[in-house]
Amino acid sequence: MKHSLTVALKNQSVAVERFLRVVRHRGFDLTHFQLNMDDGHYHVAMTVDSDKPIYLLTTQLNKLVDVKHVTLQNNLQQQAV
Amino acid sequence: MTGAELTIDLLAKHGVNEVFGYPGGAIMPIYDALYGAPVKHYLTRHEQGAGFAAVGFARSTGKLGVCFATSGPGATNLITALADAMMDSVPLLAITGQVPTAAIGSDAFQEIDVLGMSLSCTKHSYMVERPEDLAEILQEAMHLAQSGRPGPVLVDIPKDIQMAQVPFHPWLAGDDYLPELDSNQVAIANQLLSEAKRPVAYVGGGVQAADAQKQLMQFLEKTHMPAVSTLKALGSVLPDYEFNLGMLGMHGGQAANLAVQECDVLVCIGARFDDRVTGNLSKFAAKAKVIHLDIDAAEVGKRKPAKASLIADLKTSLPQLSCFVTEQAWLDHTKAMMEQHAWRYDYPGEKVFAPYLLNQLSQRMPSNGVVCCDVGQHQMWVAQHMKFSHPSNHLSSGGAGTMGFGLPAAIGAQVARPNDFVITVSGDGSIMMNIQELATIRRNNLPVKILILDNQRLGMVRQWQELFFEGRYSETDLSDNPDFVQLAAVFGIPGQTITRADQVDDAIAALVNSDGPYIVHACIDDKENVWPLVPPGAANDEMMTESAK
Repeated sequence: MKHSLTVALKNQSVAVERFLRVVRHRGFDLTHFQLNMDDGHYHVAMTVDSDKPIYLLTTQLNKLVDVKHVTLQNNLQQQAV
Repeated sequence: MTGAELTIDLLAKHGVNEVFGYPGGAIMPIYDALYGAPVKHYLTRHEQGAGFAAVGFARSTGKLGVCFATSGPGATNLITALADAMMDSVPLLAITGQVPTAAIGSDAFQEIDVLGMSLSCTKHSYMVERPEDLAEILQEAMHLAQSGRPGPVLVDIPKDIQMAQVPFHPWLAGDDYLPELDSNQVAIANQLLSEAKRPVAYVGGGVQAADAQKQLMQFLEKTHMPAVSTLKALGSVLPDYEFNLGMLGMHGGQAANLAVQECDVLVCIGARFDDRVTGNLSKFAAKAKVIHLDIDAAEVGKRKPAKASLIADLKTSLPQLSCFVTEQAWLDHTKAMMEQHAWRYDYPGEKVFAPYLLNQLSQRMPSNGVVCCDVGQHQMWVAQHMKFSHPSNHLSSGGAGTMGFGLPAAIGAQVARPNDFVITVSGDGSIMMNIQELATIRRNNLPVKILILDNQRLGMVRQWQELFFEGRYSETDLSDNPDFVQLAAVFGIPGQTITRADQVDDAIAALVNSDGPYIVHACIDDKENVWPLVPPGAANDEMMTESAK
């Protein structure tokens, strides 16, 4: 099931790497990734695909010190239906 | 003030009086600043020893443990200890030297991307890029390691920043994000408790992390709820609590596992449904509605759904649970199971029976002593047959299951609690993994006691080979072990070897009464296994026992 999220990160050099490691390790495939920077933050828009419930990823991302907030945009499969 | 001087100064200001480490090229300025400083440094003989000593220091006190290592191999040697601290939520600060900023990325001598390596085994990590950032990073790192769900934090400091003049700005922690208890969830939890006929409290390592033993015991003593503990929680439920069923899981007691399988409400208190606890997850506590208390929202629903989730510090959430008294019929049933499945120590023959030895040690050592385990059969026997009055008195590598943990962890615990009895219980496999730390014991005249249960095998692997790999004993024979008493003697540590049951009492007396370090090398039956055992893929009520194997 695909999910679209936006994530705001501190603009620390390692923040994106740390965040992407969690996505992979927790069993979510990245199918879209876009990174912008403004206001001193990285803004990520991404789509992930997994059989696992999305809260298993969002709760892990929310624990990261560099992550300011995570917003679940939609469930793309449901939207398509 | 240089960056190195600031580093030591900030540690001292934050109450860090002891650190463990090993010097090297890229961290020399920090070691220079240590020279004559009020912070006492304990030189271990391997960086992994320093990491585990810091873990032992932290776990035996609840305070921050600190370790130092140089760049490259010094830092890579810390990684296992960081991973261990991550799995077991231990407040640990690792400070590593790094090659000078200008050399980073050039494959310089002893340059490794330590920040990159740290990502999967730390709660957070930093590489200091500018001298003006050092003070804030160090203060934030110490705060992060100890706040919320504790964990390891690494700060990698390039050598030029250690040598640069740096400013100091006090850093004040912002308001921690601590979730407020959801009153609706509290109401649901209390409704479930009011309807429960067969409740069980499933207690985890979070109780120690939250320093919530008092709140836990208040809840249990008012409700009389039967309680089971994870490996890390042992000691959280006081040993004389009438309905303390002991450890659950793969090598848990039968009464503990059966009670959980039969319960209708499972109150999970700072635990995470680890696979070694649950066995076959789909069959674990299958009749139970789960109330989950944890400070970490990511643990709730990760392995097993909860009907009610109280996401908060346990000191806050536990008192919110209503204290309905558990029905007598269920208490009678659990007591009957405890009696039916009580441990037995009547062992035939003349050989040393490890469970008996450990049970005797538990009864005769000081009640506030610290037992530091390694990993394997001896670790499970300690969990089954020794009693603890506080989780800080039982240090065992839980999530990571790291062989080599015990000896350096005992060093850290002894440094932290110099007046307490500290013993490492190890196996003949595990002890060799950090045997070099005998030199640290001698160097510092630490009265650490050592008990080696020697079956001349990698016992737990051998047990699985016997039971599940058709007796194909691949690379588990350690019959060429050194003479451990002679080995300890080289480091000035006295001791004795025992081979018979009738030598156990005197050996324990020697351990307990020795003023300095002492080793007992106990030769046990090489075919003795840990029972009961939940086989892989089985439910926790499908335990193998010795008679049924």
